[in-house]
Amino acid sequence: MAPLLNWYDFDPFHDLYHWLDKHVESWVVYLVAAVIGSAGILTFVGLGALVNVWLERRLIGRIQVRRGPNRVGPFGLVQPVADAIKLIQKEVLQPDAADSRLFNLPPIIVFIPAMLTFAVFAWAPDLVLANLDAGVLYLLAISSITALAIFIAGWSSNNKYALLGAMRVIAMMISYEVPMVMCFLAPVLLAGTMSVAGLVQWQQHHFLLAAFVPMSVLIYGLSATAELNRTPADIAEAESEIVAGYHTEYSGMKFGLFYAVELINSLAVSGIMASLFFGGWWLFGVEKVIPAWIIFILKIYFFYFGLIWLRGTLPRFRIDQLMGLAWKMLLPLALINVAVIATEVLIWQEADLGGWVLAPYAVVNIALTAALVVVFFRIVTARFYRLPTRVILVRDIQVPALPAPASSALRPPTPLPQ
Amino acid sequence: MTELRTPPYVVNIGPQHPSTHGVFRVKATLDGERIIDAEMVLGYLHRSMEKLAEERTFTQNIPFTDRMDYLAAMTGNLGYCLAVEKLAGIEVPERAQYLRVIFAELQRIASHCMANGTFVNDCGAWQTPLMYMFRERERILDLFEMTCGARLTTNYMRIGGVSFDVPDEFYPAVNSLMAEMPDRIAEYEGLTLDNEILLARARDIGVLRPDVAINSSATGPLLRGSGIAWDVRKADPYCVYDRMEFDIPIGRNGDCFDRFIVRMEEMRQSVRIIKQALEQLPAGPVNVPLPLALKPPPGEAYARIESPKGELGFYLVSDGGPTPYRWHVRSPSYINLTVLKDMVVGLSIADAIVSLGSIDINVGEIDR
Amino acid sequence: MTGIDDTAVVIAFWVMAVVTIGSALMVATVHDLIHAVLFLILSFVGIAGLYITLSADFVAMVQILIYAGAISVLMLFSILLTPRSARDNAGVSYSAPIASVAILVAVVLIYAGLSTDWAYASNGFTSTAREIGNALLDPYALPFEVASVLLVVAMVGAIVLVRPTHEAGGTPLGEGEQF
Repeated sequence: MAPLLNWYDFDPFHDLYHWLDKHVESWVVYLVAAVIGSAGILTFVGLGALVNVWLERRLIGRIQVRRGPNRVGPFGLVQPVADAIKLIQKEVLQPDAADSRLFNLPPIIVFIPAMLTFAVFAWAPDLVLANLDAGVLYLLAISSITALAIFIAGWSSNNKYALLGAMRVIAMMISYEVPMVMCFLAPVLLAGTMSVAGLVQWQQHHFLLAAFVPMSVLIYGLSATAELNRTPADIAEAESEIVAGYHTEYSGMKFGLFYAVELINSLAVSGIMASLFFGGWWLFGVEKVIPAWIIFILKIYFFYFGLIWLRGTLPRFRIDQLMGLAWKMLLPLALINVAVIATEVLIWQEADLGGWVLAPYAVVNIALTAALVVVFFRIVTARFYRLPTRVILVRDIQVPALPAPASSALRPPTPLPQ
Repeated sequence: MTELRTPPYVVNIGPQHPSTHGVFRVKATLDGERIIDAEMVLGYLHRSMEKLAEERTFTQNIPFTDRMDYLAAMTGNLGYCLAVEKLAGIEVPERAQYLRVIFAELQRIASHCMANGTFVNDCGAWQTPLMYMFRERERILDLFEMTCGARLTTNYMRIGGVSFDVPDEFYPAVNSLMAEMPDRIAEYEGLTLDNEILLARARDIGVLRPDVAINSSATGPLLRGSGIAWDVRKADPYCVYDRMEFDIPIGRNGDCFDRFIVRMEEMRQSVRIIKQALEQLPAGPVNVPLPLALKPPPGEAYARIESPKGELGFYLVSDGGPTPYRWHVRSPSYINLTVLKDMVVGLSIADAIVSLGSIDINVGEIDR
Repeated sequence: MTGIDDTAVVIAFWVMAVVTIGSALMVATVHDLIHAVLFLILSFVGIAGLYITLSADFVAMVQILIYAGAISVLMLFSILLTPRSARDNAGVSYSAPIASVAILVAVVLIYAGLSTDWAYASNGFTSTAREIGNALLDPYALPFEVASVLLVVAMVGAIVLVRPTHEAGGTPLGEGEQF
């Protein structure tokens, strides 16, 4: 079978750049390359949002013992288009007392970081839009802007519920940025580079980083679901408590943008997970047969499937439980992780050992991760298991002889307004 | 160092809210995230049934009981018919009594499926356990439709028996459902009971002490979750419950999780009761002939049953005419709701919603 | 690669400079305090852009991460803790003297910036992060450690400030359990 690489590779673009380079200044070439690359990313992001809407609804339906949408088009494939049309033609309501200049900004601001994340991904060995040296740091910086946009959305709605939701989201996002930054330190230390394409190349020469830093994978998985405001960490839009949180007052396509951004962010997070920890476009040589960018996209959707699975299965944490999880469980684990990996890298470089030392490192790290996770888990959930989770079955009625209450056990009634 | 205090603010939970189980409003005064006062405002669904019933005959009032607790119509019918039969001194045939027990227990399973499903939904699991439980609820509602033509507002019980006999296709359907039900309940328990997030959300939340429960007349799973073994079916048996063997599940701690598992176990016990009733089902008439406008002798009667939500009582006063002089309903949700403020003060809104879900109220019954 | 005198870099510099200084002026003149903070965030982003024109990528990312991501949130929270009536930016009484002092400081800084003989860094290093890391651990290790201690002190102070006193009793969320 002839490899597909010849049909879909991007050599024509390289020829175009080389031709242009001879004729115009370098910054014009840069601009042209940037525009073409951005158009490609926007295409992927737009199509990805549509596909994600469909995928999410069908998969969640399947997890819930029901079919997802299947009326609009075969297998419901036209459902995202129907959703978009519905949202566009809705009446756009804006509360009178809402700050109208600020009210329209958040859907736009929240869209920008979502799209910027895709710029540093390595889609193929030679296909990166912006091979930043500080790529990992760039990803973190971008994600901290989303929190701001959500706060502006909540505050400008002039709605108690929305403000409550926005406050919770800010607190949660900032709390989860700390373990996230720490857990990125470990692969960067091992690979010696902060650029995302460089990390993928390191994995190409050695092995998947997930085998060497499994703790980072776990911490990033949980922090990322919290940053995305997805279940189990979706207090921001906890429908059963504060109606819709920070986007309560947004209707029509503005809400559609928030929803689309959540999906695009899920794709971005899956992309980060795939690139940094699971090899990006590299898959043990399969990328010579199937184009590398297809492998990358498949990996992205594999992790997105994991996110949907979490959403369909788990209930939601309470806000203080979430913060406790970030500060009391994830942060110590991340610090221990960084300390262990830093020691290993130091031994590796000072003793000038070869690449073979990575295998025992992987074994040690996986064992240590498993042990730490089990220990922390036991400590934290011991309180819930002190009582059995099953009822007592009694054959006949018996009312216990309770002592007479010293005072009325019920609170005094609320005084009536005068 | 001055204390940094922000003033408490009032938040309305409801009446339009996805989780208040009906139109029902709680004015919560919050200090940060902690509730310091909760004032309940009821009456959004008041339809003045009790007054309207005074102008309708006793048989014409049966559809009202469907619509009070609209998620447990069969038990509503049953309680009312028992009260009228007590008032008028009517003997119900055996077959009708067994059928009443079967349908009341089927309704209990359906109502608990809904209650537990929405409880886990309030805890945040996006309807996944709810959809699983609705599978069985749909089969039970199909059985109802097979028998009396309606799924929700069944209007099945009559004074002196039930309205229709079960059709032939009822028996295989209910037998297959009862054969599968224990596995399904085990599936629900496997899906939810050992989930640490659910435990974190529901354990030690909304704790109701046994003495407070008794003092505030709480009944049903609310009372049994606090560890008090009281069930009207055993304390004051009606229909043929005294011939059935079943256990009462009670909890240990009185928190939301205990009520959740009490309801799960009650579903299992209902399956047991239905199996026994089906075995013992005799042949015979299903109702007694009655005059068109029943005129019970003057007097009063109070009949109570164990509805899925608690003790449902009907108090009837007759003055000898065709319509009741006074009709009052002791609705379990209304009485159970009085403990909400006790349970909720000091918790956050999320916990308050979870506690409200675990009491399992039905606003149709509260407001009537 | 592009040098600092390329057309694109010059255009980028002017765009970033206008954004930064324009939003800084808006911070001082706009009425609502929350709007002022939002313009401040915009000026932070502009400064990050200026860093990028100087090829200091690490510092630019850190600028966005810390300033636009965390410090602005801190300012927003502290504004929300002030009562609504005290949030009017325009009611400042000493605006004339303060403006003149600010202009004086700006003039001094501009003169100092234009007349200093700035040392250009060698073009040899490819990764600013590595250089900064080496600098923080070798020549500037003491300021690095002092800054860390300062951060720890600030965190401990914040926790002490918001701990509930014994009269208020119990945990912030009452009987709801913490993790």
